Amino acid sequence: MRFVLPALLFACSTPPEEPPPIRGAAPAGTPYEPTFRRLTESQYRHAIADLFAVPGEPSDGTAIVLPANLEPDVAVDELLSLGSAVTTISPYGVEQYETAAFQVAEQVLGDPASWAHLVPCTPTAVRDDACARQVLEPLGLRVWRRPLTVAELDALVDLAGTSAETLGSFEEGLEYPLALLLQSPYFLYRVEIGENGFFTDYELASRLSFFLWDTVPDAALLEAAAAGELTTETGLAVQVDRMLADDRARAGLRNLFTDLYKLYRLDRISKDPAIFNAYSPELKASAREETLLGIEHLVFERDASYRELFTTRITFLDRGLAALYGVKAPARDGFGGVQLPEELGRAGVLGHASLLMLEAHAVSSSVTKRGVFVRTNLLCQEIPPPPADVDTSIPEPSPDAPTMRERVAVHLQEPVCAGCHRLTDPIGLGLENFDGIGAWRESENGAQIDASGDLEGYTFTTPVGLGHAIANHENLGKCLVDRLFATAVGRSPGRGDPLLEWHEEGFENEGQRVLWLLRDLVMSPAFRQVGEVR
Amino acid sequence: MNRRTLLRGVLGGTAVGLGLPLLDCMLDTNGTALASGGALPVRFGLFFWGNGVVPDQWVPEGTGTGWVASPELAPLDPLRSVITVVSGMSMRLPNIHPHSSGAAGILSGAPVLVDNPSSFSAPSIDQIIAAEVGGNTLYRSLQTASTDISGLSFNGPNSKNPAESDPYALYERLFGPTFVEPGGTAVVDPRLGLRRSVLDAVMGDITTLQGRLGASDRTRLDQHLTGVRELETRLARLQEDPTDLEACVSPDAPLPSFPDLEGRPQLQERNRAMAKLLAMACACDQTRVFGHYFTEPINDVLFTGASAGHHDLTHNEPGSQPEVHAITVQCMEAYAAFVEEFQAIPEGGATLLDSCAILGATEHSLGRTHSVDDLPLLIAGSACGQIVNGVHHRGVGQDNVSKVALTLVRACGVLLPTFGVDDAQTSDGLSEIEV
Repeated sequence: MRFVLPALLFACSTPPEEPPPIRGAAPAGTPYEPTFRRLTESQYRHAIADLFAVPGEPSDGTAIVLPANLEPDVAVDELLSLGSAVTTISPYGVEQYETAAFQVAEQVLGDPASWAHLVPCTPTAVRDDACARQVLEPLGLRVWRRPLTVAELDALVDLAGTSAETLGSFEEGLEYPLALLLQSPYFLYRVEIGENGFFTDYELASRLSFFLWDTVPDAALLEAAAAGELTTETGLAVQVDRMLADDRARAGLRNLFTDLYKLYRLDRISKDPAIFNAYSPELKASAREETLLGIEHLVFERDASYRELFTTRITFLDRGLAALYGVKAPARDGFGGVQLPEELGRAGVLGHASLLMLEAHAVSSSVTKRGVFVRTNLLCQEIPPPPADVDTSIPEPSPDAPTMRERVAVHLQEPVCAGCHRLTDPIGLGLENFDGIGAWRESENGAQIDASGDLEGYTFTTPVGLGHAIANHENLGKCLVDRLFATAVGRSPGRGDPLLEWHEEGFENEGQRVLWLLRDLVMSPAFRQVGEVR
Repeated sequence: MNRRTLLRGVLGGTAVGLGLPLLDCMLDTNGTALASGGALPVRFGLFFWGNGVVPDQWVPEGTGTGWVASPELAPLDPLRSVITVVSGMSMRLPNIHPHSSGAAGILSGAPVLVDNPSSFSAPSIDQIIAAEVGGNTLYRSLQTASTDISGLSFNGPNSKNPAESDPYALYERLFGPTFVEPGGTAVVDPRLGLRRSVLDAVMGDITTLQGRLGASDRTRLDQHLTGVRELETRLARLQEDPTDLEACVSPDAPLPSFPDLEGRPQLQERNRAMAKLLAMACACDQTRVFGHYFTEPINDVLFTGASAGHHDLTHNEPGSQPEVHAITVQCMEAYAAFVEEFQAIPEGGATLLDSCAILGATEHSLGRTHSVDDLPLLIAGSACGQIVNGVHHRGVGQDNVSKVALTLVRACGVLLPTFGVDDAQTSDGLSEIEV
């Protein structure tokens, strides 16, 4: 589902320039050790949908039903993508993979259109090794993202044969090699080890597709790998440009920002409907979609600076969000693009209900949570945990302290608290015009809310002003580079890595355009070279 | 045989590797054992709730058998003869990460990981026990929750056993089509054998791949291999006739869903549904180890009657915190309801609970300050007569909480010389609650 904005919204944007094919030489860096990442739940679901999509039929991921529960992903250093490189799978998770594998196999092999697509031959007997081989060789390549060895293919064909004989059916017999392909570590993990210090063509195909598309390589990418093109500069560039122009790059971008902003947490928060009348569980899903559509629009439709994500009044609303924000719904059904009126006082992603309700309590806003989010996830500044054994309570509202500003003043006076709260609370206070689900308010307990403050010397008086302060913060662009670099290579980059700094400078010089950055990162030596296995 | 004497002798010397048989309830109170002639196993359970208590409302007056239920322990008063209350114990490691350090220290005796504070650095108590006794049953352990959370069961660093929070999904897993009641015969299905062949091949792939990976990734795949091997063993057992267990019957299916009501989760209902299933899983000897997470550390759950989320209230409710107190009472009601489901199943002339030790724990005492002193702890069941029930033990001088864990680990038949690391390490159990 894509949304076309009214033409007036584009009046101020310039058409995107073609990025230069290859930029100057990268500084020498120490290659990162190989990673061994398990597919995230999102990648697993995308992979199944893409692997078994039938040409000519909708491939929106609804075709194949998967179990509701798979092993949950864990964030490490704030990213699920980094957690996937260090966490293990539990016995229950293994069991869930087995259930899912057979569930997929049964659906895929039981559907006539899907069968016709996967099985190019007519079996001549219950056991027909030649026909099984014709099915499993191309399927194995796509599922494992590399050609199968002779021994691997022989074993799969034999499993198909013995299963068919046991069950008296060629069709049912195929379920077992298919379930094996889907339970094997060659599918569930990304085996990226490299040869002679460089990732191989097939490894690069996987790295590209999971980073840019959040799914498995398509046929064209595997063909490019087979032809040895991905290990050449120009061959790689051709594929990267093709991939970034493909709709799947939107799914990839949505995944990157869902991880970066931890939007997946929206599934787990709850709000008190007695306090927030406008709240409903559906509002959470709408709020997430607003943010993802906004990012998609900024990156793909406008190719605009990342800074603008924090200042733009363009956004995408459905009826529920429009009512929450106090504007006319831009579309009768679903989402529509809208430019929020300036007098509304709401702009940028920090005016989105998604982040405002995530960084809040069940019944109220939270200046500290909002401040920690901006510092940690947008500016990559480390905020230590609060010391234990300290009374963390703040005073109740009172005539002397009606708004949060007066109440959290105690944080800023206690020396043990002030060190960190001086960093977080002034940011959160700048967003106090938004309540715990993101609705606007002028006052709290009868007193006018004062949203003024300053961020590293940049003063502001409103939430919109805070957005500009963040947009102009020197860490904003660097932080995005750091986080996307980490996701691309599967490891937190070392501070002072000359390659990281090279990408940071490039991003800044190129006007903080995210598409440019994605391309720059996958063309990078950091993405193509690999250190020794330890 | 005096088991404790034997353990002491062993642990005092060097023969830690001595193969003591899995501790079973040798005989029931009537001098008979199970209908099948076997002995009852000891079961370990954890019931965890998040965000602590209001200590001056939780700690009971009086010690020994004469304790008087405090306001927060009132829901447990009817169960006093089958529970043990422990207070006055301390988590002795640095309390660096509020909530996380306490949870890891109490449940594993070790700190959280430096580079990932959401993970323990050592196995949690349930997995220490499961590693020894879990191989005897279909499931090494079961992990469940009353809210949509992943729990605190760790095999080691970055290796969690996530909890199931959907009672119906747990029911399907344990008592679905593959379940056969005692006295029945295993279903003959060639598909089980084929699924096992697939798993054998998966194990082959894992082993081959391990040779190409670095040490830490090999270890990660070891964990994967363990999971596949357990599943393969489970499929093999499904092909065998079930053991004759007197207390094992197929339970009723729980409700298919427990939607929030008025924006508040149906915690108590989910809790009871999970307890019924876990109790029957034990009675059917599908597992001997479980962890149940009523709520988790830092949870901001909207409890019935509360004006804000739990965590929010622990920090921001002024004065004596009547709302936090009321929530703690609800947590204790949940523990009581949980334990009652084990007590409701007769087994070996007594109840299922008698063979259990169900540790009730939370990550700290007073939520407002994250204090890890004077920790609230509960044990339900006597682990086949090894734990003194009916008493309140109050530790002196902020005694080491690891002693409680070591007592429980040993009661479950695991010969562990010490529990915990650094200042949390102990080689002694809490002898005052050991029979």
